[in-house]
Amino acid sequence: MLRIKDISKTLGDFHLNNVSLDIEDGEYMVILGPTGAGKTILLEAIAGIYLPDSGTIELNERDITFLDPKKRKVSMVYQDFVLFPHLSVYDNIAFGLKSEKTGPEEIDRRVHEMTEMLGITHLLKRDTLKLSGGEKQRTAIARALIMKPKILLLDEPLSALDGRTRDNLRKELRTLHQKYKTTVIHVTHNFEEVFSLADRVAIMNDGEIIQVGEPDEVFSKPNSPFTASFVGAENIFRGTITSGKGSSIITVGNLKFSSSAKDIEGEVYASVRPEEIMLSKMPIDSSARNSFAGIITSITNNGSMIVIEVDVGIPFITILTKRGLYDIGIAEGDTVYLTFKAAAVHVFY
Amino acid sequence: MSESGHSWLRRISIGAGIILTAFILIVLLLIVTYSSPEQFISSLFSDEIQFAIYLSLATSLTSTFFCILFGVPAAYALARYNFRGKAFLNTILNLPLALPPLIAGVGLLLLFAQTPIGHALAEIGIEFIFTPLGIIVAQFFVNLPFMLRIMKSTFESIDPRYEHVARTLGCSEFEAFRRVTLPMAKNGFMAATVITWSRGIGEFGAALMVAGATRMQTESLPVAVFLNMSTGNLALATSAATILIIIAIVSLYLFERVGGKSGSGMF
Repeated sequence: MLRIKDISKTLGDFHLNNVSLDIEDGEYMVILGPTGAGKTILLEAIAGIYLPDSGTIELNERDITFLDPKKRKVSMVYQDFVLFPHLSVYDNIAFGLKSEKTGPEEIDRRVHEMTEMLGITHLLKRDTLKLSGGEKQRTAIARALIMKPKILLLDEPLSALDGRTRDNLRKELRTLHQKYKTTVIHVTHNFEEVFSLADRVAIMNDGEIIQVGEPDEVFSKPNSPFTASFVGAENIFRGTITSGKGSSIITVGNLKFSSSAKDIEGEVYASVRPEEIMLSKMPIDSSARNSFAGIITSITNNGSMIVIEVDVGIPFITILTKRGLYDIGIAEGDTVYLTFKAAAVHVFY
Repeated sequence: MSESGHSWLRRISIGAGIILTAFILIVLLLIVTYSSPEQFISSLFSDEIQFAIYLSLATSLTSTFFCILFGVPAAYALARYNFRGKAFLNTILNLPLALPPLIAGVGLLLLFAQTPIGHALAEIGIEFIFTPLGIIVAQFFVNLPFMLRIMKSTFESIDPRYEHVARTLGCSEFEAFRRVTLPMAKNGFMAATVITWSRGIGEFGAALMVAGATRMQTESLPVAVFLNMSTGNLALATSAATILIIIAIVSLYLFERVGGKSGSGMF
């Protein structure tokens, strides 16, 4: 078990403020927070790159707060890969084993085992500068995992990748975690990664951990205004999906809505971005397949936009401009209609 | 662009460039063509020029070695760490760059001739005054900033996270430096070495103060030029000068080749 206790650290503009977090062996912990929340320094403190100003870090009941990074068995993968540019893909992956004075045959065997797992064996002789983003990140993950680390630290590992590569690599991370049972701490600002990967999620803001728990719990019961606004603005619902031909129906509580997702069954998360929802006083006759009547529970001016919460059986958030609110002329307690396309329903699992 | 033929600014500025280029070429060609090729070859193989070449190579290689030995770690410290007095160190370490070499020479002469340190070194047989060691220490003092500045900007251009990753992959701090940062700094290092070495070969003022200008003893190539010019032996003087010009051209070429790639922001 990794036990982080009251860690504080100031480094330039970033800081950690009494961060405490326990992570079980084999757990996949996602730390979710906005840019500048201090997520990366937290990882770097765990790796031993920066020593905390106060607090302790224990790994399996051993104090490692000031232990040399090379003795921690903690590996790190950065968002922008940080591959050694003067070394080939093979030598990047073999780098750590060479530090441990592993024999050449053993290195060769383990490099191949690792690269076959990640599907990059054909790249071994390549120069790292000529790889695609996905290939670079696979190389970086192989370089970290080959050390059989007790903890694998992933700093926004998917953020620099394009959509499709990101989806593939996300699935692979899940497979790798299931296979190796390595404890993973994965830092991100992307919700989808929480739902597809996390055993537990920690919400972080301004150098502090705000809430820790299973994704369901954190998203359904935010314990603070920050968590609520950070996770709540996205209309995320948990439900069951049944797929038909070319589209599917998602059931959340008593509400059923259509999504254009295909070939998925079972428990999923669905989200609808507030700006994708049309709000009207009368039912709209349109091609959009989801239309629900509901009652306005609140209208809030957040400065640039008007945030409107509508209860249609489950609470939806939608937004209007000030001009839009004036034109439509609605108030709390009014009955309105929410309309959105099946394609606006984003499904993840 | 269509009016470029009528642009006076274009004509004047390009004209200035051409005049300057011609000026430099004329000056250099006058030296290089002063002796006939036969004269140049025979001067080249004279004992005096042979000695000067040998002495210049030996002293400049040695002083470059010491510039690397002290300059690389100091440059790394200035690039990577924050510590008290860093700005002060940085200013002082660059000072020899702005200082007239002659003045550096006067200071070194006082250090070795008139202080207990100099006397103690002389006691144990390390004599700098009027010896080739004096040339080495003068070159070292004057040229260290070149090594330091290029290496500092090279190290600054290498993201410290490369070392961070290396340290999570079983490296000590020093191993991370040796296996990652140093190879990544290769181009900057070669550029710094070439420029430091070629500056060392041409060093005159500081070395003259400490080591003097004694024929066949502290007679490096620049001193050979100086001594033979003062005695009116222009053939020997221009031969030594020609060698220095060739070295300068080759160094500049090497520097542009490796330095251009390293992104070292010094020149």
